[in-house]
Amino acid sequence: MAKYLVKRIFYLLLTLFIVITVTFFLMKLLPGTPLQNQQKLSPSQQHLILKQYGLTKPVWQQYLIYVGGVFQGNFGTSFQFSDQPVSYLISSRIGPSLLLGVQAMIIGVIPGILVGALGAIKKNTWVDTTTTIVSILGISIPSFVLAVLLQYFVGLKLQWFPIADWGGFSYTVLPTIALAASPFADTARFTRTEMVDVLNSDYIELARAKGLSKWGVIYHHALRNSLIPVVTIMGPLAVNIMTGSMVIENIFSIPGIGEQFVKSILTNDYPTIMAVTIVYSVMLMVVLLITDIVYGIIDPRIRISGKSN
Amino acid sequence: MAMQFSKTLTLAAISGASLLLFSACGSKSKRQLADDQTLHWVETADLPTMDPSKSTDVVSGGALNNVDEGLLRIGQGSKLRPGIAKAYHVSKDGKTWTFNLRHSKWSNGAPVTATDFVYGWRRTVKPSTAAQFAYLYNHVKNYDAVNKGKKAPSQLGVEAHGKYQLVVTLSRPQSYFKYLVASQAFLPQNQQVVNKYGARYATRSGNAVYNGPFKLTGWDGTNDTWTLKKNDQYWDAKATKLKAVKYRVIKDQGTWLSQYQTGKVDELMTDGTQYRHLKTSPDIHIRGSASMFYLEFNQRNGFFKNNLDARKAISLAIDKQSLTHNILADGSQAPKGLVPQNLAKKNGVDFADAAYVKSGTTYQLTEARALWRKALQQSGKSSVSLDLLADDTPNGKKTVEFIQSQLGKLPGLKLITATVPFNVRLSRSTQGDFDMVVGGWIADFPDAISFSSLFTSNNAYNRGRWQNKAYDTDVKNAEGKDANNPDERWNDLVNAEKTLMQQQGIVPLYQRTQAQLLKPYVHGVQYFPTGAQWDFSRAYISNHQ
Repeated sequence: MAKYLVKRIFYLLLTLFIVITVTFFLMKLLPGTPLQNQQKLSPSQQHLILKQYGLTKPVWQQYLIYVGGVFQGNFGTSFQFSDQPVSYLISSRIGPSLLLGVQAMIIGVIPGILVGALGAIKKNTWVDTTTTIVSILGISIPSFVLAVLLQYFVGLKLQWFPIADWGGFSYTVLPTIALAASPFADTARFTRTEMVDVLNSDYIELARAKGLSKWGVIYHHALRNSLIPVVTIMGPLAVNIMTGSMVIENIFSIPGIGEQFVKSILTNDYPTIMAVTIVYSVMLMVVLLITDIVYGIIDPRIRISGKSN
Repeated sequence: MAMQFSKTLTLAAISGASLLLFSACGSKSKRQLADDQTLHWVETADLPTMDPSKSTDVVSGGALNNVDEGLLRIGQGSKLRPGIAKAYHVSKDGKTWTFNLRHSKWSNGAPVTATDFVYGWRRTVKPSTAAQFAYLYNHVKNYDAVNKGKKAPSQLGVEAHGKYQLVVTLSRPQSYFKYLVASQAFLPQNQQVVNKYGARYATRSGNAVYNGPFKLTGWDGTNDTWTLKKNDQYWDAKATKLKAVKYRVIKDQGTWLSQYQTGKVDELMTDGTQYRHLKTSPDIHIRGSASMFYLEFNQRNGFFKNNLDARKAISLAIDKQSLTHNILADGSQAPKGLVPQNLAKKNGVDFADAAYVKSGTTYQLTEARALWRKALQQSGKSSVSLDLLADDTPNGKKTVEFIQSQLGKLPGLKLITATVPFNVRLSRSTQGDFDMVVGGWIADFPDAISFSSLFTSNNAYNRGRWQNKAYDTDVKNAEGKDANNPDERWNDLVNAEKTLMQQQGIVPLYQRTQAQLLKPYVHGVQYFPTGAQWDFSRAYISNHQ
């Protein structure tokens, strides 16, 4: 396991390095500078401003400086906020994003599994039909539409929760629901399909024949085996939540990095775009790593260094 | 010229008195002050800096205008009122401006002196600050040399005579210098505070001092809420009724509307769709900005060069009334010329009316088609393919689609349109990579020159390279030999504008106007069409339940 982990972390760093390199050079190909008022600036003024941002050096030097900085946690200075280090910008904004992401993952995945399992157990009953309809709705309604509907009905009409802004727990409720809808629906759908298969398999028949209780069979044998494919989709679900958060944070005025990412793209704030891309990549890779580890725990057949074991 | 200010002063005093009278009367009937004097305001972008030398955007401009005070302040109707300067005097040749300062304090208790102005101005102009709006100082003596680093900042034409007199020397007269000293780039700065925080100066609310009606709190440099609190050290603090202005950033227009409807915020800048539904609301206030969007022709070479008929045909074929009323429908106005309406007035006459050339903005399709045929003949072609470039903003897209449908009625014209991000549009138009481009401009200060200077032959913003000697001479005279003669200067600029429209150097499309919803209990908020948009120093909240 340790050997596997080391190998995976090595690949993770390699991927990160490639992401940094590709993003860096892509950004260099795009137009845009920190100059707000280019036409009115003399060439010497322009040079001076660019020099302050380290943009007058040859590109390969900028690249080396950037890579060196990234590994020390220095992502450069933001173009849109004067004299603000990008690392500060991100560290002060990552909290709300993480909180929302984790909450959405939890309230999406766990109820998703339960609802999916329930659908499979009560197959072809009204319970199954209802859960299927709910999950199809969850998949087909985009998060930003759901967000606006929640704002209007729950926020504006019922006034149960704040429409937007960031404060205590109550402020996280609507955005979390909007973000969690799609992971919830995906998990429910996958769990149901898998569980229906598993419940029809021979070893479940055998377990029942051996006289195990119905719920015992479901919990110990059916659910555990159904979860393997569900774990596989955790990675894509995390991506879903991350990309969803960019829109959701804008709609709910949440001071997170998704909202900042959109802003930095609109204002050509390249240091921030790169830093957020890197942060997103790291988060995604960590999620994938965790998924793989959990995978091994759930299913002994897929222990990675299986041969030596 | 010295008299001019005392006149302004009296006027300000009169309007101040009548305001007092009015609110006094009002307070007896229904305008009773609410207990909670907190205004909830919204920005759609974050606050990027509070450094007066580095502010380039409307968010920081608006905040600075409320937390700091320059020599003068702009008041209602773009009229100047005294700020830190009690009075000023302009020499006969228009080159020496003497400002007498009042005794006032920074928020940390230190006195605001002439030295603070000298220091702040030098800091903005000196090259190492790399201030992007330093060019506003271009009439101040030695600006060029200091800004290029050829002379020491101490050579800039501004000096303190004692603690409370500031003397500014201009290299050439500039009648609108009085408006410039009311803008952010000319604010005083406290040297001790700047030195104390160094590179961290004004990057969060605690790292700066304020000398205006409010002081900034709760801003950590990148967060999206901040508060302006009443500044008790301000010299006119007794006139400030608001305790606080709480800002929050809302980027989604729908969210903003919901927050307004539930009373979480006190104002809403509507977009086109919302305006159509809310037009009749009693809360609506029309906020016309001193901005103009216009079509530029590439006249470096190609089809439009020396082809007046072609330019006129394009202009006549576009119905600007229809564009503003039916297409944009956000409150925007059809233009009368390049210079927006309500930007500059003389003896009660609006510049846009004085310089109005009907043929420059009117819609006449029959004439347009005839002229277009002539234009094609002149160029010896039977058809022509032209590209049209614009921003990929909602308004940019609507404008382009509209122009495309209108120009489709001209025979033998194939239009290829492209809507691109702002920066791409800028770089392509600067390089001349277009046939027609939709551009825009917002005045820095309330004087026609802010627009007129754009289309002189050598101006970097003249992206189509339209060239006209008479125009250049008029603008040059307004900035040069007639700079100190208001009547002649006005005539110069009016003539320049007429030339531009007669020669159809550009096609004005629309004057951007926004409609704001403001809660009925909010009073006295001042809006300016130029520069920093808002002033809360006289605002108050009336009793409401």
